[in-house]
Amino acid sequence: MFVLLRHLQRVRREAALPPRRGARSLAIRHVDAGSCNACEHELTATAAPQYDLQRFGLDIVASPRHADVLLVTGPVTKRMEAALLAAYEAMPEPRRVAALGDCALGCGVLGTATELATPLEKLLPVDIRIPGCPPTPQTIADAILSGSAASSFLAPMGDRMLEAFS
Amino acid sequence: MSRGATVPRQDVETLAVERPQWREACRRELDDGGRFCGAHASGHTGDRRWQALFARGSGTRALIVELDGDQLETIVDMVPAAQWDEREAHDLHGLRFEGHDPLRPLLDHSLDPSSWTVPVEGRGVHQVVVGPIHAGVIESGHFRFHVVGERILHLDPRLFYNHRGLERAAEGLELSDGLALAQRACGACAVTNAVAYAQACESVLGLLASRELRRARTLLLELERLYNHLNDIAAICAGVGFATGNMAFAALKERAMRLNQDLTGHRFLFGSVEVGANRLLLSGQASQRTREQLLELRQDAARLWREVRFSASVQARLDGVGVLDRATAAQLGAVGPAGRASGLGQDTRSDSPALWYGSSFVAAAPAETTGDIAARLEMRAVELEVTFELLDDLLPEPIEADAASPCGPKGSIGVARVESPRGETVCVVEHEAHLLRRLRLRTGSYANWPALVQATAGNLLSDFPLINKSFELCYACVDR
Repeated sequence: MFVLLRHLQRVRREAALPPRRGARSLAIRHVDAGSCNACEHELTATAAPQYDLQRFGLDIVASPRHADVLLVTGPVTKRMEAALLAAYEAMPEPRRVAALGDCALGCGVLGTATELATPLEKLLPVDIRIPGCPPTPQTIADAILSGSAASSFLAPMGDRMLEAFS
Repeated sequence: MSRGATVPRQDVETLAVERPQWREACRRELDDGGRFCGAHASGHTGDRRWQALFARGSGTRALIVELDGDQLETIVDMVPAAQWDEREAHDLHGLRFEGHDPLRPLLDHSLDPSSWTVPVEGRGVHQVVVGPIHAGVIESGHFRFHVVGERILHLDPRLFYNHRGLERAAEGLELSDGLALAQRACGACAVTNAVAYAQACESVLGLLASRELRRARTLLLELERLYNHLNDIAAICAGVGFATGNMAFAALKERAMRLNQDLTGHRFLFGSVEVGANRLLLSGQASQRTREQLLELRQDAARLWREVRFSASVQARLDGVGVLDRATAAQLGAVGPAGRASGLGQDTRSDSPALWYGSSFVAAAPAETTGDIAARLEMRAVELEVTFELLDDLLPEPIEADAASPCGPKGSIGVARVESPRGETVCVVEHEAHLLRRLRLRTGSYANWPALVQATAGNLLSDFPLINKSFELCYACVDR
């Protein structure tokens, strides 16, 4: 155990992540709508010590009920369409949709048209676009943490929370 | 056969069988030592063919039966491993198999649960339903557990939520264009799928893999195994709630991914395989640098593995859980680390003349082939050693540009079998007038799902995520 902890400490030092700004958080619910699993691998990697997105208040949550952002991967297959929409419906307002990877953005290697539903952009209002096949963990981290995605969304949420508590 | 020697291409032998003799022909194949490795339908209504593949050493024999209608006798009673193949052919191609009763739907999601689940009845039996969306970052799949209290009596999985129709999309394409579809079937098995596809095409085109081509592909395959096995150990640690082990191995996996990026320009090694030629070039300097990085990674992996191995609270969750016994594994055609952890010695790398393994390759095995989670976890660790050894063996020399050379007549069907991190992947390419007529990709995950279902029975519901992770099967390359 000590060896493992020491190793992690070293990895952490080497990664030299920037300090986190402010006390904000964003809960993400991921839905695989026909991905090849590469986007999932990279999304999981954002939790690895080299990126550690949790440090910046970003969490993958188990239920859409707890989520602020619906993060969708894959070209949206017919068989996943209903589940994807149900997950979106279950989310409380305000909510945002993020398209992760070229397939979700409708420009990947997709498959047979009859097996695919409507592209994500036509199905749900997409607010955050993260291109790449797959996007690297760094790209995902940057996109979610950058001004265009998180701050613009987090700021009004933060204000609302302040109102609620004041 | 030594590594430098000229090798025959990995070939396929086709055997036309009359419909009435179908079962008998399959039985003869099995008695003859053939190992079932997939079956699929091709052609269209009116010109339908059904074929079963049997592995024989490094070659494959394809038994082909022409169908005048859509009906044929089943072989599942003698080859339980063919169960999913027949169910898939029913749902996608409308074939009916006499004697396969009930023929439960596999891809058809339009039917209600009673049509695709096994009826389980008794006092206190109820169903626990999860998916297709899961709690973590996991691929989509739906599970129905029949339980009494916490004890699982039976599991009915429903996959294919990620079915994108990749095989159908490949029909009518040029051989070289089908590669993208085979590769993108699965991110984590991209190299295996691409190499299997390229080899199947080369078998069709009568091409022989050259020395550099074999070296490059073997290097890529082992790099893929490296990051997958590190990932799997991390995932099993996560499954028991051992966060330090999970994070330590996740960090190691990230290092392997960065090494892939440096070497090929892509973290998942996408785009590094081509039909008939070698796309990976490696200078002496780059290979030396990689070798040093791998040595460092190897030492860290070995050191950290010892910590996981001798953590009593982790091991206590793994021993005797999710057992897949040898007989069941053999019957269901289990492959890869899962099969080897149950005592099946099969590793396709031993019979891969079109790659760089050679006759000296020996498949790794755990100290005890108990077939439980502990054995499957240990399998990853012992295979990592073999992988590091192979990579170290391959890297001292630079890899140069090279192309496959003609070695025989063109055929209409090509088959390749390649060992992925999850087991043997079989790729079939049928070809007509330079165009793909049929592509079938039967991955190690596809072969192992029925075995995973068996390993689940009798265990506690709370252990399922752990059992699932110990197999770490892909959904994407099963669903295609």
